Amino acid sequence: MSAIGLTAAGETSAAIDRWFPVARGEEVVPRHIVQAQLLGREIALWRDDNGLVNAWENRCPHRGVRLSIGLNTGTELHCRYHGWRYASGSGQCTYIPAHPGQKPAATMRVGRFGSAEAHGFVWVNLSDPAEPPMLSTPAGEQLTTLRSIYTRAPASTVAACLLRGYRFALDPTVAADSPMDAALVAGDPYTVRARVHAGQRESTVTFLLQPVSASDTVIHGLLTMHDVTADRLAVLRHHNAQMSALRDTAESA
Amino acid sequence: MRPRAESLLWDDWHAVAEFEQLSRPGRFLTTLLDVPLTLERDPKTDSVLAHAGDEPIASLRLKYGFVWVCLGDPARDIVNFPECDDPDRLLGTAGSVRVAVSGLRAVENFLDLSHLSFVHAGFLGEEPFTEVKSYSVESSPQGGVIAKGCRVYQPKASPVAREGFDVDYTYAVLRPYIVVLYKANPVEPQRRDMIALFVQPVSEESCVAHLLTCYLRHGVEAAAVRRFQQFIFGQDRPILENQLPKRLPLTAGREIPVRADVASAAYRRWLAEAGVRYGAIPAA
Amino acid sequence: MITLYDFELSADCYTVRLMMAALGVSFRRIELDVYPGREHESPGFLKINPSGQLPLIDDDGIMRCGAQAILEHLTGRHDPSGRWQPRDDPEMPARIARWLEVAGRLSATAGSARLHDTMFYAAEIDACRAGAHALFRALDEHLWFAEQSGHDWLCSAGHPTIADIACFPHVMLSEEGGVSRLPYPAIRRWTDRVKRIPHFASMPGIFNASPSRSAPT
Repeated sequence: MSAIGLTAAGETSAAIDRWFPVARGEEVVPRHIVQAQLLGREIALWRDDNGLVNAWENRCPHRGVRLSIGLNTGTELHCRYHGWRYASGSGQCTYIPAHPGQKPAATMRVGRFGSAEAHGFVWVNLSDPAEPPMLSTPAGEQLTTLRSIYTRAPASTVAACLLRGYRFALDPTVAADSPMDAALVAGDPYTVRARVHAGQRESTVTFLLQPVSASDTVIHGLLTMHDVTADRLAVLRHHNAQMSALRDTAESA
Repeated sequence: MRPRAESLLWDDWHAVAEFEQLSRPGRFLTTLLDVPLTLERDPKTDSVLAHAGDEPIASLRLKYGFVWVCLGDPARDIVNFPECDDPDRLLGTAGSVRVAVSGLRAVENFLDLSHLSFVHAGFLGEEPFTEVKSYSVESSPQGGVIAKGCRVYQPKASPVAREGFDVDYTYAVLRPYIVVLYKANPVEPQRRDMIALFVQPVSEESCVAHLLTCYLRHGVEAAAVRRFQQFIFGQDRPILENQLPKRLPLTAGREIPVRADVASAAYRRWLAEAGVRYGAIPAA
Repeated sequence: MITLYDFELSADCYTVRLMMAALGVSFRRIELDVYPGREHESPGFLKINPSGQLPLIDDDGIMRCGAQAILEHLTGRHDPSGRWQPRDDPEMPARIARWLEVAGRLSATAGSARLHDTMFYAAEIDACRAGAHALFRALDEHLWFAEQSGHDWLCSAGHPTIADIACFPHVMLSEEGGVSRLPYPAIRRWTDRVKRIPHFASMPGIFNASPSRSAPT
């Protein structure tokens, strides 16, 4: 287990132009708006009826009302205050009900963040959109996204707790498989890999930390399993229990 | 007491409670301009005592069913509405409501016409009648802003309205945190019903909304007026609490107005010119 | 016709209005001036209900008080489909009872925080908010795993039950008491689904759902 020291500085420097997961892709369901937050910036995350994901600044440019309480019509987001409409993709205002005959000015546009979908997550980059980095995952392995755990602790504390110890079982439905100490490696301040193996069987969880703010973090998990026959729900419950325990530890640190 | 805000606010009167709220025994706690207040009603004399910490507050009055307080030296009188003395009117209140946003945002919302067919759909407005036709805005000689000739189609303009009709509104901002609305009475259209919003600035990012209704009595039932105002304000409150930033920006930039917002643009300009900072994000 | 003694801004009263809307039950509203008038404590109302509590229904002479008791009464007497409190599954009564109990705790935490933050009600506000967050954590986890098993509702009945109606109001209005739902994405998806229940009725503070894909936009 490599111990890599993490400092608070690691979580703020140059973080503004990197990609972070903010939601599991399957949770950005149609006709819904996800309210997310990254590095203190609120995000209105929504999918149009063609499947395109939009990550917008959660603020209508008219009078600052949160877009996340608005309406997702499948092609547009409507602000709840005055009914202003914004097109998917461009974020351009298409209609101002108080002045129905007029075309809204080009300046009437929501703030947008870079967004991409990869490995079962929606990733956001708060600065100008750029190519999302690809995680190096072993080819041919089954990838499962775990339940994300909202934690009231800074990302540096969460990473430190993970590195101190995360235990999980290869297959929690098998009686012989009790939780084992994982071999833990910090990839960067926001990524920790945990691996357990017994003989030929092995399993890796990649923890991806989403710094919500200076005080809160969402822990996302990406599980690769060698054995695909394990009961998926049991595995999800197992990691949920382990990650929740880790959350409790991080919150009382 | 060291002033916590500019003189325009510190040396002025603010509503801090409905008199009715003080009928319970014991002390009523509230806050004005970041100063914690204790209010108490003397059951024998029915007078009200107010303290800021240990310091008794000298400037305290009852008017229109509210307790008014000035933390500094009152530079002028409490706002006055001659209509409220008309014998054929019913005065009412709607229960003070706390809102987690700057009171300046609450005043601006009260002035706003284009939200009526969305936030109050089916009552004060309705799609597709969303267009806000031109109206006029002028400065008031006593300070503040007046908006006239505001017209909007309302399906249920008041508790006694039986059908929809075009309503004519006049707004007057009388103080940074006080705004009043006049609308033509359905039975006597040459006279106007009045609704006043007295916003108590609790902190720069929170307030209490106190409402005063002054309607002509024609067929109006006090309880129905109160319920209607509570219903309408209950619809506004979550919008206000979802506005960011919580303080009202006074410079153009991040929030883009359109022609329908001419009254609120004038309100923000007047606040900037008057040097209001408390509850605002002033020009740099 | 059922008579409901009611206050527009009360989440517990809204719970009953929502249930009756979902059941398609007509009712007559007698609205009391609870705030600031405290009419529920007046001699006139205390004669009708000595406990002074709302909501209260008078169903053809049968009086029931409190959101949960009324919900049980309504589904017992006015739900010919039997879907809102299913009795065919032996596990269901226990599941529903568990969520009704949670609804009671939501009222005491999130509900009290809202009354404190809006209408000056006395409450231990920090404890109320912390209690609400603890309940929301458990609720979010439950709903997430329900979704993973193909269930959209609190009880795995394949359709909403009184468990969903009982818990929804205090969850949906939680932000009025300073309890944000940003950390609870599964709860946020569930509240959207509740809003799409046929004949859903709203109240001030609750916005309607986005149009669903099957509905014309």
